[in-house]
Amino acid sequence: MNTFAQLLVGGLLTGLVFALVAVGLTLVYGVMDVVNFAHGEFLMLAMYGALGLALLGIGPLLGLPLVAIALFLFGIVVYRVFVRRLLAGPPEATVFGTFGLLVLLQGVAQATLTSDFQSVSNPPLQATLRFGPIALSQATLVEGIGALVLTAVLFAFVEYTETGRAMRALAEDRVAATLMGIDVQRVNGLAFGIGAACVGAAGSLLMLSYPVYPTAGAPFALTAFVVVALGGFGSIQGALVGALLVGLLEVFGGFYLAPELKLVPVYVAYLAVVLLRPQGLLGRR
Amino acid sequence: MTARPHLYALGAIVVLGLLAAFGLREAVVLDLIFTLLLYAVLGQSWNWISGYAGNISFGHAIFFGCGAYASALCVTHGLTPWLAFPAGALTAAALALVTGFPTLGLRGHYFSIATIAVAALVETFARTTPWLGKANGFELPIASGWAALQFPQKGPYVVLALALFAAVQLATIALERSRLGYYLRALRANHAAAASVGIDERRCKLIAFAWSAAMASAAGVLYAQYTLFIDPPSTLALAISIDIALIGVVGGIGTLWGPAAGALVYVVLAKAVALRFGGAGKGYDLVIYGAIICLIAALRPYGIVGTIVDAIRRRRGALA
Repeated sequence: MNTFAQLLVGGLLTGLVFALVAVGLTLVYGVMDVVNFAHGEFLMLAMYGALGLALLGIGPLLGLPLVAIALFLFGIVVYRVFVRRLLAGPPEATVFGTFGLLVLLQGVAQATLTSDFQSVSNPPLQATLRFGPIALSQATLVEGIGALVLTAVLFAFVEYTETGRAMRALAEDRVAATLMGIDVQRVNGLAFGIGAACVGAAGSLLMLSYPVYPTAGAPFALTAFVVVALGGFGSIQGALVGALLVGLLEVFGGFYLAPELKLVPVYVAYLAVVLLRPQGLLGRR
Repeated sequence: MTARPHLYALGAIVVLGLLAAFGLREAVVLDLIFTLLLYAVLGQSWNWISGYAGNISFGHAIFFGCGAYASALCVTHGLTPWLAFPAGALTAAALALVTGFPTLGLRGHYFSIATIAVAALVETFARTTPWLGKANGFELPIASGWAALQFPQKGPYVVLALALFAAVQLATIALERSRLGYYLRALRANHAAAASVGIDERRCKLIAFAWSAAMASAAGVLYAQYTLFIDPPSTLALAISIDIALIGVVGGIGTLWGPAAGALVYVVLAKAVALRFGGAGKGYDLVIYGAIICLIAALRPYGIVGTIVDAIRRRRGALA
């Protein structure tokens, strides 16, 4: 029973971090119909960014807004220079184009920063908290709560601001939205930047307890794809629900199967959901 | 659209290949020709599902791996490696059906994500399963002759790869002129219109994907018999899937000769990278491959052959 409670809380907190990675992906998909296969590599860049700031004496939490802003600008540049052109080509081009970006960014990281695992030295918040039978590191708790807060902020932004409304309008009906005078390129660029900023924040939080290496983002991105499919492509609430489910699946799977098999139930769940309910749990067709 | 020029071109390649296989003694050159043909087959296999059917696969290495592992299992269990052709092809096609059935009726990204997920599952499975050699893989015992599908010289390997390449190109010519080929083209051109005249998208694409997987598996059998050593990094890893996708994309998706052109570019590029930067593992190869995929996607999404065909059409249009 104690193990169960421990796994439950651990799974939910892990899920919240997955949610923060996944909301950026789902926002970009919703607005411009692009699955960014390089999303995990944006996360990897953010983690290296947080690591660099830590070397300068700015810890991951203090550095979070800086990394998020840097990734926001990076995302806008990538959209302006690259993704905009992909959108003009055949639909396959956005798929293999963003995949090419994945390969390129992994290669650049490997060539310039080596394949070594690197962590923030003396990270803050390493104390263990005890809630009855449940033991948690402060870092895990902060990661989970931070992810929840940022997901809520993003949801409020999309729901209640003028730009957020424009994004939802584009997601709903591109042609009609364009006719209403929405500047598609501007909103697309902003959405891509905000999607990147989300992984900027996520990367900073993750540096509290994970090491970074050139392919560090890939497992998180794969999980995020599953999360987004589970919750429904384009749905932010769906991503949150999907992420909590995937977090639980992964933590319980890792415990009851074997640590190296922890992703097996996650992928099987993906195939099952896509087969039985392709619009996802909370998505629209 | 007549197939005759393509058949002539293929015949010329086969004659040149046979001359090289029987006339050349230089192992380095023969090795290069074998690798080139093998990658051209893998690229064409990828092209069936990702070019003609339009669903990008990021996990194609696992079908190649099916053939390689089938070959290793046959040989280490005292069976003839020829059995690996049907066994590997059936396994690969079954994996393709499992990946494709839930996803090939949906928007493209569902399929692409599934290929990544299934590839990761298969690699994990091979790495943790004792009868698949775990992370160590297999060393194939040395033998000789056509029954054992092993040869002391490289010439016969080139003949085998040439036969496989010719078969795959002929199959692709047939695909382009078949009902299935027209259905796939219609689905890519206008998905809703094609569906409305009763074309079953999932069925058509599953057939293309199963054939695609079987072709990659045949290449895997030859690879295992050629190198006599296989393990997960050399047959199942994401890096192999990246190479295969690169070949397909560079040559031009949905074109008959694209994969062969892509394979030629890839082999030259891989050699150049190895000479200049001392092989893979330092990331320079990934930088170059990634940059090329990005450039093609953004500027020339139909690759080398697509661009050439486009230019010829434009010139003819200008003359007419």
